[in-house]
Amino acid sequence: MIQLIGVTKTYPNGVGALYDINLHVGKEEFMFIVGPSGAGKTTLLRMLYKEESPTMGEVIVDRVKVNNLTAEQVPYLRRNIGVVFQDYKLLPKRTVYENVAFALQVTGTPHFQVRRRVMQALELVALLRKANSFPDELSGGEKQRTCIARAIVNNPPILLADEPTGSLDPTTSWDIIQLLDKINKRNTTVLVATHNKSIVDGMKKRVVALEGGRMIRDQQLGAYSGERLSNA
Amino acid sequence: MLSTLTFFISESFISLRRNGLMTMVAVGTITVSLCIFGFFLLSIINMSNIVSNLGTKVDLVAYASQPLTDTEAENVRLQISRIDGVKEAKWISKDKAWKDFKEEFSDRLKLEEIVDSNPLPDTFFVKMLNPELSAKVSKEIARISLIEEVGFNPNLVDKIETLVEAFRIGGLMLVFLLSLATLLIVVNTIRLTVLARETEIVIMRLVGATRSFIRWPFIIEGIILGMLGSGISIVIIKFTYEAIIVRLQNALPFVTLFTNHFWIGCVYFLVAIVGVLLGMLGGYISVNKQLKEEN
Repeated sequence: MIQLIGVTKTYPNGVGALYDINLHVGKEEFMFIVGPSGAGKTTLLRMLYKEESPTMGEVIVDRVKVNNLTAEQVPYLRRNIGVVFQDYKLLPKRTVYENVAFALQVTGTPHFQVRRRVMQALELVALLRKANSFPDELSGGEKQRTCIARAIVNNPPILLADEPTGSLDPTTSWDIIQLLDKINKRNTTVLVATHNKSIVDGMKKRVVALEGGRMIRDQQLGAYSGERLSNA
Repeated sequence: MLSTLTFFISESFISLRRNGLMTMVAVGTITVSLCIFGFFLLSIINMSNIVSNLGTKVDLVAYASQPLTDTEAENVRLQISRIDGVKEAKWISKDKAWKDFKEEFSDRLKLEEIVDSNPLPDTFFVKMLNPELSAKVSKEIARISLIEEVGFNPNLVDKIETLVEAFRIGGLMLVFLLSLATLLIVVNTIRLTVLARETEIVIMRLVGATRSFIRWPFIIEGIILGMLGSGISIVIIKFTYEAIIVRLQNALPFVTLFTNHFWIGCVYFLVAIVGVLLGMLGGYISVNKQLKEEN
């Protein structure tokens, strides 16, 4: 589903973010990307939806070479990738329903489909009863679930979450990760960048560890810390 | 498709309302610029019109010293046309000249109240083969008996034409600079909306809205600004121009101002087009900057 071949990213100011990353993520896989702040987790995710481009190497998403996409093609790539953020990025003047519907409206979804699909997404994240609330009136966990609903309302095959539990307490964090797991089981590839140790240890999923822009570990049924790759 | 268009238009109106003051400033600026543009066009049309009336292709005009009989007139006409450098000479009888004059000015002047008899002489319009020779030819015509005076000012038309040309260049320059200033203000106005909606644009891009989809509400916003500005300026130009025409026509009855509805309609149309284009371009530039910054 996702493939990175020798991906290196250096910013114009000379600062390196990623060095020679080789990674293959299968269809419907659930994977954690762990590492301290500045390890390159966010950069890696951003390359998948072409918010950034690699300096060297190849990024392939769903058999499409992302590097080669023109500015006009990028939106269609993004319709196949849902993205969840630590800061939610909700529109404050729109209700939960409107925030989720927005993703459909701006991608030209026929009017009659919008309501049904928004309701399905809100049901999945268990937020139906908050449909008419504004983001200000929601708890952190509810905001994050709104953000997740917006990310999946399009039924994308891939869901990326960048520190989804970064602003949440441990119990709510666990709920959110369980929700992402549930979405994964509905045939969605899920990548979660995090430095939340207890969640990674509790889930026993594949773990890729980054440090200083290099991949130091790739482990099935992994934990937050563990043995480094021999060549790293 | 229809729901998308409704979405665009309602988004545009919402943001225009949110930035009320800036919207008014932008519409005001567009209005002022377009008014100047419109008046400039009307002045150009009028000047060209006056110049082309002046230069009715008569190079010299000769006036008879006394009323002529048909034979005398024909005799004089032949003498004139035999002069070297003259292409043709045409006789306008005293009565015909008076009739034409009255016809032309009857709606503006009550001639009978001013003069009771025909004050105009028999007139000969002379066309030259070579206008350079006008000075020499006019002297020769003046020697013909029965001719009292030769009107001759070959440079006047040229001079006015040069003046109009200068006015045209200066005016174009002015219009260009004003358009630029207007464009900058429109860009700035819509830029505020773009900034106010930064998160929305980020999310639109994230969930896969196409670039043109993101652009349209802002372009429509620009078009609305342009339409408001040009609409107001057309009303202003229309009423002002009509007022000017009435007053000038009374003060200077000999100057024919332009009132052809087709061409004036064209001026209004041009003003509207320029307004809408300015708005559109402004909207496009301001949102495009944002789309580029994020890449």
